[in-house]
Amino acid sequence: MKKLLRTFIIIFVTAFILMFVVNRLNSSQGYGGGNTLTIYNWGDYIDPELIKEFEKETGMKVIYQTFDSNEAMMTKIEQGGTTYDLAVPSEYAIEKMKEENLLIPIDHSKLPNLKYINPKFMNLSFDPKNKYSVPYFWGTVGIVYNSEMLGGKKITSWNDLWDKNLKNQILLVDGAREVMGMGLNSLGYSLNDTNEQHLQQAKRKLDTLMPNVKAIVGDEIKMLLANEEAAVGVVWSGDAAEIMDENDKLDYVLPKEGTNLWFDNMVIPKTAKNVEGAHKFINFMLDPKHAAQNAEYVGYSTPNKKALAYLPKDISGDKRFYPTDKTTNKLEVYENLGKKMLAHYNELFLEFKMHSK
Amino acid sequence: MRKNGKLSNLYLIIVFIILYAPIFYLTYYSFNSGGTMHDFERFTWEWYKEVFHDTRLFIIVLNTLIVALLAAGISTVLGVIGAIAISNVRRNRTRNTLLSLNNVLIVSPDVIIGASFLIMFTMIGIKLGFISVLISHIAFSVPIVVIMVLPKLQEMSPTLVDAAKDLGASRWDVLSKVVLPFITPGIFAGFFMALTYSLDDFAVTFFVTGNGFSTLSVEIYSMARQGISLTINALSTLIFLFTMVLVVGYYFIAQRNNKAAGMGVRK
Repeated sequence: MKKLLRTFIIIFVTAFILMFVVNRLNSSQGYGGGNTLTIYNWGDYIDPELIKEFEKETGMKVIYQTFDSNEAMMTKIEQGGTTYDLAVPSEYAIEKMKEENLLIPIDHSKLPNLKYINPKFMNLSFDPKNKYSVPYFWGTVGIVYNSEMLGGKKITSWNDLWDKNLKNQILLVDGAREVMGMGLNSLGYSLNDTNEQHLQQAKRKLDTLMPNVKAIVGDEIKMLLANEEAAVGVVWSGDAAEIMDENDKLDYVLPKEGTNLWFDNMVIPKTAKNVEGAHKFINFMLDPKHAAQNAEYVGYSTPNKKALAYLPKDISGDKRFYPTDKTTNKLEVYENLGKKMLAHYNELFLEFKMHSK
Repeated sequence: MRKNGKLSNLYLIIVFIILYAPIFYLTYYSFNSGGTMHDFERFTWEWYKEVFHDTRLFIIVLNTLIVALLAAGISTVLGVIGAIAISNVRRNRTRNTLLSLNNVLIVSPDVIIGASFLIMFTMIGIKLGFISVLISHIAFSVPIVVIMVLPKLQEMSPTLVDAAKDLGASRWDVLSKVVLPFITPGIFAGFFMALTYSLDDFAVTFFVTGNGFSTLSVEIYSMARQGISLTINALSTLIFLFTMVLVVGYYFIAQRNNKAAGMGVRK
């Protein structure tokens, strides 16, 4: 009994000592006080230096929390019980959050730096007049390929993927919208197409791609491509930049039939406690210098027009990640197709995945 | 016979290699200056330095430990009380029902436990964070402690308690001087099980964290999108070494106790 009692007292005392240490650490970092700003963002999606600079500039303390998918983030905010002041969802999630009244309108008068954003990225279908969201990063879906492994061959379009010589050489991301969109685009249809015949046609065309597909994978696609496990991959542009950083034999191309244009935008969830601080932070991130610094760190494309001037030429001049207006006009943003249509997309994608070679 | 022994040894060695290989692989690359899990470039301490500089990560590690210790401690107390209560139930059917209800909680998927906790917390208005994580960890640990303690209680001969009562022991004496010492190994087993369960739980914690509170498993998972940095390798290596030290330490203490016990009357 004594031994038991002693052990458990030791355990609880240790726990409380640790709690005290954490408390001290938190307060030495300035957390815990009322003057905090809680940011909910993707993992490693901001330059930590910028957070430090923002803290110095405003005296506010930033608590940076991370999520791994739009769905997870939405669940947390929807359920309440959290105090996120700022979140960075993708466009289709913003549309959904808007519908469910999870967002607080943004006061544009508090964002003098908003004028630096390229008008091309404003006033888009998922949030007209940018009432609830401000662009953070944007990108595309495209093809990464290793021309050395393909014997110097170049890929320029979705239809090149159907080449017989690419047998067992293609990796696809595991996303219904991305893969179905690829099928639709390759036939010249919109990737928001809801015409049943077009969808069936796309699915049938995708089935004929199967012999070329090596695997349909998640995040490990970056590693697999960098390690030359496959010659071709269909990926998001941000991932592509990272892969090419690791293996310079790889090249990224936007298919000429058109492809998807995506956005991650800053929003203020209804759970926000520090709305004032959130506006300050948004404005801080819209500053061209800060936007440029962030884009250089994260490797995704910034929507900030003025920031391009602060970026090294080899980044801002890279047509693959900052394509010309002529190219971007061809790109499409995902529209919210509604629950039923989305389920149909998922179903077709599942059927495609199950299609045997 | 001898040959057979060699074969089984070989089998054992292979099994252990398979079990430990991923950990050593991970440790190996934690010294890679290249920053990736392939192409070892040069040896570096960089990632270890980064672990010690990253206060946020350090706080998360401490949080994980605090939750594990508190959850395991509290759930052990609750679980022991529960186990004694269940074993004291006279009617067989009631006891079996209680036990089955306890087991249902062990086998039910973490995801469902986590989701239902999330719904419950938001319904009754508990803010997500330390408290919510602690409560849910206690909740899924209690059934495990019960399961670890019950066999010990059943092993104990009822005559032991009767004898103590005959000799004039009060109910408290019976509990503190007879029952608890007898089931101590079960209690410790339960405590350590609860500790490990809490340390590595992802699914439940994932649902109930919030407001700046995070544990290691959730944090590592959310890094997946950008690719996990080698800092995590370094951290995992440190934690692995730490547990190794604990296990070896425990082994020596147990051995010393065994020797001491061997000389006495107790078996």
